[in-house]
Amino acid sequence: MSLLRYTLRRFAQAIPVLIGIVTITFFLANQIPGDPVEIMLGPTPGQEQVEAIRAQYGLDRPLYQRYLSYLTSVATGDLGLSIYYDRPVLEMIMLRLPVTLLLMLSAFAFAIVTAIPLGVISAKRRNEPADHISRIISLIGVSTPSFWIGLVLIIVFAFYLGWFPARGLVLPWADPTDVRGAATQIEVIRQSAHHLFLPMIGLGTLQMAQITRIERSSMVDSLQGEYVKLARAYGVPESTIVRKHAFQVAQLPVITIIGLGLSTALGGAVLTETVFGIQGMGRLIITAIQNQDYQLIMGTTLVFGFVYVIGVIITDIMYGYLDPRVTYGDE
Amino acid sequence: MSTNSATSDDDTPNGGDESGGGPDEVEARVGLRYTLKQVRQDTTARVGSYIVGFMTLVAIFAAFDYYVLNYAIAEAVLYNPEADPEQVRRLLPPVGMENQFGEGVIEHPLGTDHRGRDLLSRTIYGTRIAMTVGFLATAIGLGGGTVIGAVSGYYGGWIDDVLQRVTETIYAIPFLVLVIAFMTAFGRNLTFAMIGVGITAVPVFNRLIRSRVVSIREEDYIEAARAAGVKDRNIIFQHIIPNSFAPVLVQATLQVGVSILIVAGLSFLGFGAQPPTPSWGQMLSASRAYMLPAPTFSIFPGIAILITVIGFNILGDGLQDALDPRINN
Repeated sequence: MSLLRYTLRRFAQAIPVLIGIVTITFFLANQIPGDPVEIMLGPTPGQEQVEAIRAQYGLDRPLYQRYLSYLTSVATGDLGLSIYYDRPVLEMIMLRLPVTLLLMLSAFAFAIVTAIPLGVISAKRRNEPADHISRIISLIGVSTPSFWIGLVLIIVFAFYLGWFPARGLVLPWADPTDVRGAATQIEVIRQSAHHLFLPMIGLGTLQMAQITRIERSSMVDSLQGEYVKLARAYGVPESTIVRKHAFQVAQLPVITIIGLGLSTALGGAVLTETVFGIQGMGRLIITAIQNQDYQLIMGTTLVFGFVYVIGVIITDIMYGYLDPRVTYGDE
Repeated sequence: MSTNSATSDDDTPNGGDESGGGPDEVEARVGLRYTLKQVRQDTTARVGSYIVGFMTLVAIFAAFDYYVLNYAIAEAVLYNPEADPEQVRRLLPPVGMENQFGEGVIEHPLGTDHRGRDLLSRTIYGTRIAMTVGFLATAIGLGGGTVIGAVSGYYGGWIDDVLQRVTETIYAIPFLVLVIAFMTAFGRNLTFAMIGVGITAVPVFNRLIRSRVVSIREEDYIEAARAAGVKDRNIIFQHIIPNSFAPVLVQATLQVGVSILIVAGLSFLGFGAQPPTPSWGQMLSASRAYMLPAPTFSIFPGIAILITVIGFNILGDGLQDALDPRINN
C-alpha cells in the first residue's frame, strides 16, 4: 500500500474516533447538573424568557434528537452558539486556537531541540558525568508539575529579576497598532518571543524530560543491537555508527513519545495558560465548564481531540517513513 | 551482551526481542522475591524505594490521624491542618526569613498560609490525598489497560481495531479536560477524581501491554502452545501477561507519579480535594494570589510534589534496570 493510501486510510480511521469524541463530550456535557439558562439569565428569570432561550438553543428537544442534530451540524462545520459569549463556538475557537498552537509548537520545539542532544550524549557517555547531569535534569523535569515550574519562573524571572513579563501573550502576527510599545512588526515579534519564553519552558520542560529519557534508553538499546556490533566489526567509525546506524532506529520510540506527549501537552496548556493568564483554548474550556456552556464545552473538546488525532496520524506516518519494516497495513 | 547475575541462561524471553527459554525460567524472573532482591542490589532503585516507602508511611500516618484520631496528633505536635487559628498570623515566611507580613517564627518552621494555617502541617497532611489518588488511580488504569491491551494485541484484526479506536478516543481528549468534564458531570469529589485519572491511564497500559503481546505473540513457544491446543485465554494470562511483568511494574511505578502530578493539577484548577482538606495542588492554587508579597508560600507544596514524584520515578527507573536482563548490573 502506498504512503498516500495509508495516509488516507488513517484519516478515514480517525473519523470514528472523532465521532467518539463528539459522543463522549455530548453525553458528559449533558450529565452536568444545573441549568445553563438559569446561569445566563440569573436566578429569577421570567418564564417566557426561559422558554424563548430554550427554543433558541434547542434545549427543549429530547436528548437523542439534540445528539443527532449536533452530530450532523458538526459534520457541516457548525459547532453551535456559545451561550456564555453569545457568539458562534467556532468563532471563539478560531480566536483562541492559534494562541494555544503557538504555545504548544514553541514548547515542543524547545523540548525536541534540547532533548535529542541530551539523550544521545547521555547514551553515548553512559555512566559518565555528562550522563548523570542529563539524567538528573530529565528526572527533575518529569517529576515537577508544569504549573509549579510556571509559578517558580514567574517568581524568579518576572518578579525578582524582572527579565520577562509575568502575564499575557502577544501574537507575533498581531497588528503593530494593536500592540502597546510596538511600532513595527519586528518589535511585535520581539515582544511575542519575550512573552512566550517563560510559558514555553513551563509547558515544554515535561516534554523535554520525557523525550530525553526515551532518547537515552532507546539509543542505549540501539547501540547494543546486532547491526551495530556488525558495523563495529566492519570497522565503521563510532561517530558514524551513532549518527547513522543507531540514531535512526532509536527515533521510533521517540516519535511514539512525542505523539503521546501531545495529549499531555494539550492538557498542560490548560494549566500553563491559567498560570500565565494566557487567553487560549485552555482558558476557553475552563470558562466553558465553569459557566456550563454546553456547546462551548463540546466544541473545544472536539477541537482538542482533532488536534491530537492529526498529531497521531503524523507520528504514524513518520513511523513508517523511518522504519522500512513497517508495512502500511498489508496483510 | 552480559547475563544478569540471577539467571544462568541468556535466552530468557523476558528481554522482549530474545527467544527461547520456557515458563519455568519466566517465573524465576518475575517473582516478587526476585524483584525485591534486584531492588536491594540496585542503588537507584533502593533510594527510590526509601523515598516511596517514607512517603507511604507519612500518608498512612496522616490518614490514621485524620480518619481515626480526628487530627489529635497534629494538634498535639503541630497544628490542625484544617482549622483556622484563633490568633491569625497569616503569610509568615519560613523561620529565619522576613517578609512584609512579619518575621518567621519557630512555631511555624515553613511559615503560614493566607489564613494563618501552619504550612508544615498542611504539607505533611497533604501527602494523604496525593498518595491515595496516585495508587488507586494507577490500579484502575492498570486493570483496565491490561485487559484491553492483552485482548487487543492477541486477537488482532477487527477486535484490535475497535478496542484501539476506543482507547484512542479516550486518549484523544486531553486528560485534564477529560477528568474535569467527568468530575463536573458526576461529582466534584476525590472518588471521581481518582476514577477519572484512572481512566486516563488506561490507554497507557493498553499500549504497553498490546505492544508486548504483539511482539511475544509470534515467539516460538507461544506458537508451540497454540499448536498444542492451549486455550487463548490461558496463553494470554499464563504466558503473555507474566512475561510482561517487568515493563508493567516499571510503568505502574512511574504512573503513580504521573497520577500525583495530574491530581495536583486538578486541585490547582479547583477540581481536586476541596478546602479545607489539605492538598498540595490546592495550596499552590491559593499561593498564586500572594506570589509577590509571600513567594515562599508557593515553594514547599511544590517541593513536596517534586520529592514524591522523584521517588516513584527513580524507583521505576531502578526497577527497569534491575529487571532488564539485557543490562549488566
